[in-house]
Order: sequence, then structure tokens, then C-alpha cells
Amino acid sequence: MDIISARGLAVGYGTAEVLRDLSFVIPEGLISVVLGVSGSGKSTLLKTLAGLLPPLEGGFEFSGAPVDYASEASLGALYRRIGVLYQGGALLNGLTLFENIALPIRMHFPEMPEEMVKDMVHNGLAQVDMADAAAKYPAELSGGMRKRGALARALVLDPDVVFCDEPSSGLDPITSSLLDDLLLRLKDTFGMTLVVVTHELRSIERVADRVLVLNAGRLHYAGDAAGLSASGDPFIRTFFLKKDSQDDA
Amino acid sequence: MIARILDRRQRPRLRRETPAALKWAPACNRMDTTMSEHPVVGAPERILLPRRLRAPEVVSLLGDIRRRQGTGPLVLDFREVEEFDSSTLALLSYVRNGPEGLSPVNVVGALARAEESFARKRADGAPAARPEAGGWAGRFFRSVADRFLGSIRSVGLFLTMFGDEVYHIGVYLRKRKGVYPGEIWNQMFFMGYQSFPIVCLLLFLVGVTISITSAEQLQLFGADIYIADIIGYAMLRELVPLMTGVILAGKVGAAITAELASMTVLEEVDALKTMGLIPEKFLMVPRLLAITLVVPLLVAMADVAGIFGGMLVAQVTFGMTPMAFLDQMVNTVDWIDFAWGLIKTVVFGWAVVVGAGYKGLTVGRSAEEVGRATTESVVLSVTLIIVIDCIFAFVIY
Repeated sequence: MDIISARGLAVGYGTAEVLRDLSFVIPEGLISVVLGVSGSGKSTLLKTLAGLLPPLEGGFEFSGAPVDYASEASLGALYRRIGVLYQGGALLNGLTLFENIALPIRMHFPEMPEEMVKDMVHNGLAQVDMADAAAKYPAELSGGMRKRGALARALVLDPDVVFCDEPSSGLDPITSSLLDDLLLRLKDTFGMTLVVVTHELRSIERVADRVLVLNAGRLHYAGDAAGLSASGDPFIRTFFLKKDSQDDA
Repeated sequence: MIARILDRRQRPRLRRETPAALKWAPACNRMDTTMSEHPVVGAPERILLPRRLRAPEVVSLLGDIRRRQGTGPLVLDFREVEEFDSSTLALLSYVRNGPEGLSPVNVVGALARAEESFARKRADGAPAARPEAGGWAGRFFRSVADRFLGSIRSVGLFLTMFGDEVYHIGVYLRKRKGVYPGEIWNQMFFMGYQSFPIVCLLLFLVGVTISITSAEQLQLFGADIYIADIIGYAMLRELVPLMTGVILAGKVGAAITAELASMTVLEEVDALKTMGLIPEKFLMVPRLLAITLVVPLLVAMADVAGIFGGMLVAQVTFGMTPMAFLDQMVNTVDWIDFAWGLIKTVVFGWAVVVGAGYKGLTVGRSAEEVGRATTESVVLSVTLIIVIDCIFAFVIY
């Protein structure tokens, strides 16, 4: 079943169209990777799917219901069912990691007993292997830890879909690989749907079930990751040639 | 001797390569046309450019070209150029499209290929040419119109945000949801406790200054006793609200804008939205409630500090006892003066917080814009304070 289904979607800022005529689906329980060169509109598309940037044309359905950007109720319903891992983590600097992860629980369920909040936060931290960092402020965490902490916050209310904006950016290959392991574990253990924006080819190879390739303002390819590596398309081949040269190095 | 030889090598003289060709001497930074052996009147002068033509040589050559402009056509011969950079390509473009009387020849080899490649890339990426109607006058009026419309739009957005905040506060007071627990206290601590010393100190000094200035004039008319009336009335009605507002704009407003703008740039505001929270409520309601609760205390303390400053000067200058000063003051000022001062300061505080929040939450996505927004926030807050004060003056008096 498809959890997100877009038809004739055009996204951009103001009147500047970044991507147009996008029609695609995001299947449930799989990892879909949005791939493209820098500036191809990957993060812009992610913002639209996460309810932050209204589409210029067309629209998309989330779990069969159309998302109406003019309706606060529709956006509220979308926000309740998604989690977002931002490129820099976007943890609130004035709060400890524990308070950051507890924030969505405390805001949406203020009547929940503090013991239960603590329990949920510690479960979230354990999922991302950060049980001992609860009392630290974001400024005291490394880049990789901030991202894992932010992932714990995105997961704490058990969203249906988690959007990850360039999770590997700025991380060394080992930390990046650990983060990929984490994404795979979420999919395998909890059957979570993940939409990952990246241009890290190693990461794509490891985690992607489906791939959306963006190029020149359009959707260039949408299909299985296996089909991508076998593709004879010159643009896609360019990506894989780059990958080969990286491997050689 | 060796030094002299080297010096001569580094400063090659211009020489004629062909009957009308000169070798350009970049290091000497001038073109000695007197070196032309057979000057041909009216014929274009040809300059053979050196093998290395990078930014320093290009800048030097341009200086020579400028000095020679108007003396006749000039042909730049690129045939020997092998070492070049982007400034060489810019020079070529300048020579081809720039002032009349300049023309390039023998653009060959790697330089020709680079020029062609750059031209192709620029043509591919060039935006469609837009006709510039109306010349400088048109551009000026368009710029004025754009700024005017931008200002109208900003005022509209600011007022919308103000209305939204009133609504959010109403919802919060009814449901007690959507604001982080303890945040109101944190903000009260920052806005009140941390602002109290500077507000009191400055208002004390203002009281002293006004008292000294007034004392001199009052003594001329033997009206010393009225210093208490002046201090009490000016402090309660005007100076305390205005100065407190300005201090809040500089201290609290700037801090709010910097914090919210940084949060916007670091995607923390987006994160709040995707957590299902309303940033305008989550971030602004605690600040607005805090300023509303803190301002009365600040005003009361600032009033005391300002009056105390004036009273001190009255005692030193006129020998007026504190009791006599207070007796005279309460004959003139009333609790309504204090109340107006209080109301004004609360309104100023709201203007500062909403203005600062507006600037912080509408910032762009770069660190540079955080600084700009912070400066603009202080200017906006002070402007709002003075405009509102002026409106109050019409309403009260």
C-alpha cells in the first residue's frame, strides 16, 4: 500500500518553480530515497511533503486523504503522523536532549504522568543508543549524536513516516554507516516508512528500497533501487560512475 | 651589476614586433609609444601581449589602456599569451564589448578555447534579458514603489501577527496548552530580574539630569519648590515609560530577534511546526505574558529610582528635604499619572516583543540576515515606541 501519493506536484519558493509535474508514490514500510545533485530540489520536495511549503501546483495524498495546505486541521493531522530529521538535527538549544525528546509528548499530551514521559524518552534514547546523553545540551553533543538525538525526537510519538533530510551530511563514513544501520533497524523492527533525501551513493546502496531521482526540475526516475543500478540512462550512469571511482579510491 | 641586469629583465621595454606592433611591458606599468620606430599616423597601434597575462598584468595593462584612450585605435595581439586566468577572459570580453578603438587579434590556442567555453556556459545560464523601461528615472520610481509596497506588506504582516498573538494568548489562558512549562518564568527572569539594574540605574541618572537642568531655570524665578512637580510629572507620565521602552527594545527586543532568527536559520522553527506546534504561540506567548507581568514591577521601580535621583539633586541644590519634596509632588501628581505611565509601558513592551518576534520569525536563511534582523528589530521597536507615545500624547492630553 502507498502511504504518500503525489500527482502533478510542482514545488518551489514564491513564484520560482524548483520542481514540476511530479507524480510518484511512497510505499508503506519501505525506505524511499530521493536522489539528485545539489540544488536539484530534494530538500524542497521534502519540505512540501512534510507540510512546510505549500505546493505551487497539484498536491498529494497522505494515507489516502488529500493534504490541504489551507486547512490547519489537515496540516495538523499530517504533522501528527510524521517525524522529520533535519539536516542539522534542529534540536532546541535551550533544552537538554531529554527535554527535546519529551517536548512533543508534553505538548500534545500535557496530562500524561511524568513517569510515563520519562519512560518514553528513555526508550527513544535507547533506540538510538544514546541512553547516557539525556542530560546534555545539544551544544555538548557531536554532529552524529545530535542527529541521533533528533531522530529519537522524530520517533518518540511513533510516526507513520519519518522524513530524513540528508542524514549523512557532515558525518564521517563510520558514523554515517551507523546512522544507516539505525534507519534499517527502524524499518525492519517497526515496519516504519522512511523517506530519505541524500546524494550519498553508499548510503543509497545500503538502505534504499525505492529511489526517486530528480534532475533538471523533473522526476527523472522512480522505481526499485535494483532497477536504478541496472539503468542505462546517461544521467543515472553518471551517478554510478562517480560511485565506482569512489570505490576505486 | 647583476642586480641592474635583473632589473632590466624584469622591466622589458616596449618594442615593435611588426611594423605596427608593440610588445607590452607589464612591469613598467606604462606604454612608451616613443619606442615606435616607424609610427604610422592614423594606423591602429598593435600591442603584442606577453606570454603570462594574469590578474596583476591585466590590471597593469588596463591602466595603460585607460591612459592611452583618445590617442587612437589600439589592437591587442594575444598570439603569445599562454598563461592566463579568468581576468584574462574578462579583459577579452572588455576589449570586444568595451570602449571604441580597442580590438583583439590572434586569440588562439588554449585562450580561444577557454573563451569559447566560457561564452557558451554564460549563454546557457544567462537569464532572459528584461527590457529596462524608463531609464534611471524609471528604475528610481520602481525602486521607490517596491519599497513602499514592501513597507505596506510588512505593516500588514506585523498587524496580522499582532492579532494572531492576541488570539493565541486567549486560547492559552483558556486551555493552558501549547506553551512549554516554565518558559514564562524563564522569560520573566530574563526580562525583569536581569533588566531591573540597568533600568533603575538609567532612570536614576535621568532623574538627576532633569533635576539639575530644571534647577538652574527655576532658581532664576525663585520657583525652587516646583522642581518636585516637574520631576514627578515628567517621570511618571513620560520619561519612565519612554526610557523603559527603549531599554527593553535594546536589551529584550534584540535578544528575542537574535534567538528566534537563529532558530529559524537552524530549522528549529520548522521542527516545531512538524511536531505539530505553532511557533508563533510556542515562542511568543510566554514572552508576551512575561513582559505583561514584569513591566508593572519595572515601572514601579524605575519611578522610584527616577524620583529619588531628582529628590537627591533638590536636596543638594535647594536644601529641600525629602519630605518637603514628596509633599509638593503628591499635590501635583495623581495615581492616574502612574497608571497612564504603566499602561503606556505595557503597550511599549508588547510593541517591542511583537516587533522583535516578527523580525525574528520572518528572517531569511543565512547567518548574515540574523544580524540584520536584530538591528532592524531595535530600529522598528524604537520607532513603534515613539509613534505609540505620540498617539498617547494626543489621547491623554
